[in-house]
Amino acid sequence: MTAALEASGLTKTYGTTTALAGVDLEIATGESVAIMGASGSGKTTLLHCLAGIVTPDAGSVRLSTPAGPVVISELGDKQRSALRRSAFGFVFQQGLLIPELTAVENVALPLMLGGMDRPAAEQHAGSWLAALGLADKLGSRIGTLSGGQAQRVAIARAQVAAPAVVFADEPTGALDSHTSTEVMDALIGSTTAQGRTLVVVTHDEDVAARCARILRLRDGRIVESRTRVGADGEMQLIERDQA
Amino acid sequence: MKTLRIARLLARPGTTGRAAIALPIVAFGVTTTLLTTVLGGALAFFSWHGEIAFTYQALAVIALSLLIVPLVALGGSAARLSARRRDDRLATLRLLGATRSTVARLTVLESTALAVVGALAGILGYLAVTPLVGLIPFRGEPLGGSLWLPVWVVAVTVVGVAVLAAVSAALGLRAVVISPLGVRTRQKAPRMHWLRPVIGVAVIVAAFAAIKGIPALDGVGTVVLVLGVGFGAVVAVLNLIGPFVIGAFARRSAKRARTAQRLLAARGILESPKAAWRQVGGVAMTSFIAVFAGTAVSIAATASSTDRQTAELVADIRTGVIITVVVSFLMVACSVGVNQASAILDRRTLYASLDRLGMPVAAMDAARTRAVLSPLRIVTIGSALVAAALILPLAGLSLIVAPASLLTIAGCLAAGILLVWLSLKATRPMLNRAATTVPDAL
Repeated sequence: MTAALEASGLTKTYGTTTALAGVDLEIATGESVAIMGASGSGKTTLLHCLAGIVTPDAGSVRLSTPAGPVVISELGDKQRSALRRSAFGFVFQQGLLIPELTAVENVALPLMLGGMDRPAAEQHAGSWLAALGLADKLGSRIGTLSGGQAQRVAIARAQVAAPAVVFADEPTGALDSHTSTEVMDALIGSTTAQGRTLVVVTHDEDVAARCARILRLRDGRIVESRTRVGADGEMQLIERDQA
Repeated sequence: MKTLRIARLLARPGTTGRAAIALPIVAFGVTTTLLTTVLGGALAFFSWHGEIAFTYQALAVIALSLLIVPLVALGGSAARLSARRRDDRLATLRLLGATRSTVARLTVLESTALAVVGALAGILGYLAVTPLVGLIPFRGEPLGGSLWLPVWVVAVTVVGVAVLAAVSAALGLRAVVISPLGVRTRQKAPRMHWLRPVIGVAVIVAAFAAIKGIPALDGVGTVVLVLGVGFGAVVAVLNLIGPFVIGAFARRSAKRARTAQRLLAARGILESPKAAWRQVGGVAMTSFIAVFAGTAVSIAATASSTDRQTAELVADIRTGVIITVVVSFLMVACSVGVNQASAILDRRTLYASLDRLGMPVAAMDAARTRAVLSPLRIVTIGSALVAAALILPLAGLSLIVAPASLLTIAGCLAAGILLVWLSLKATRPMLNRAATTVPDAL
């Protein structure tokens, strides 16, 4: 299987705090990876570095694209923005949806930012929302939706531009267990089931258990990696502590 | 005491940096300096006696009525900025169990403290600029010491600014006091009530009728009162009509928007037409004043070859116009800067969200610029037309559309639009920081 994302020697510090201390990581195309760890372990910083939201102090992140590999960590701000628009999708705990836009406008936004005309973008966005069970909520403002519905809008927005990789940061953090299961079904069904790569940062063991691989971070290092193997899907410890 | 202790803890700079504290102080300071200077200038004319003194007093009342409402609005913007930066912390306090009254007291205390600091700094500004303003000649002599206000007027001004800040802060944070979840999850976009334009048009029509009836009035005091109340009331109702008109245009624009920038700009305006108005309201006032200035300039141009007293009056009208326009531009510069900073602080989560989606900061800036400049065009033209309608019974159409008048009006409008554009450019680094800061980095 080819690697969708490769990170090597990622280091990032904020003032005197070391968020990442030399992380090496390879994520295969179509794989789902959960990144776990205590608060302050560096998992969100790792996700931000992989997605080009922040640049690492040292090390590199390489993305495989149809046009050849791209070293994200070497790109300028504009190029990283363009890459986030075209190659990545994002789902965050709060959804980070735009409250003044309707559901369909929120989902259509990445397409419009990519240059698509509004009617076409909204038609495409509408079909994604319908696929996620929100056909009757297209014109609703985000504030009128439930937490689970808002998160499904965020999932639709993350998928609408057909990204190679979807990043999710605590996607079920604000939801009850039933809604959390529904949201994860929607997330997995629209990513790895379609051959896309999924990277999830979570505290929730149940959410992590839905992924093919679980990484645990402590003090900015990967200290454990468990991969699902065999027909029964049991998790096995493949490696421990990069340091 | 408990409230004071919490207020001290919260006085530390937050994620929005020191700008959130410095900006309202500067705005309160500029408001107070301009307010006291304008009051000093206007009151100086009321110490004069004689036949011509009335003309000066009438012109001073017109200038004061044009400037006082925007100055109070600027003070209100400063108060909102100082209160808004506390939304998150105060909402958190409510979640931690702080009572409504504790949060209300904290809000009022913080805003009032910033207002008092700003107002005192503003008084220092007044003390510094008054000797210079005193050099300006009227009736052939410098105004000099007649500009100094009695101490009680200065004290009342400081108290007035503080009260304005306290009231604005209390009103602005009602949402936080009501809901511990703060003001983020707004379910419906606010709709501007249809009564706004109805009241606005009624006031404009009434002011027009009253000004038209001035020649039939008896008594100097009555004429001054009608002029002052008429112009002041119309300037005040522009604040009522403005948000409604901007909202109506934005609704049409949101339906027609084809690009992300246009859609975000229109939806952003619809989210709070009042906030959109505050961004451009200062320039609306300036364009209103510009029509008066232009007409006054053309009156001065036609009356230049008469006796000494009239020649002096003409020269003084020119001086008065320049002072009014300069004060209004200082006010606009300050108001636009404060409101731009406030708007970025308010929407920083949105900008961070758009950055993660891959929207370039340049595109966000384009949407923000459009959200300010498109209402600006509407309100600039609208308020200039309202001003022309009001002045028509006094000056006649030929003076309003005289070349000197049109040139002055065009120059003022261009300067106002340029100021807004410059303030948008000046706050771009703040937008950059808001968009690219990752607060939950670990």
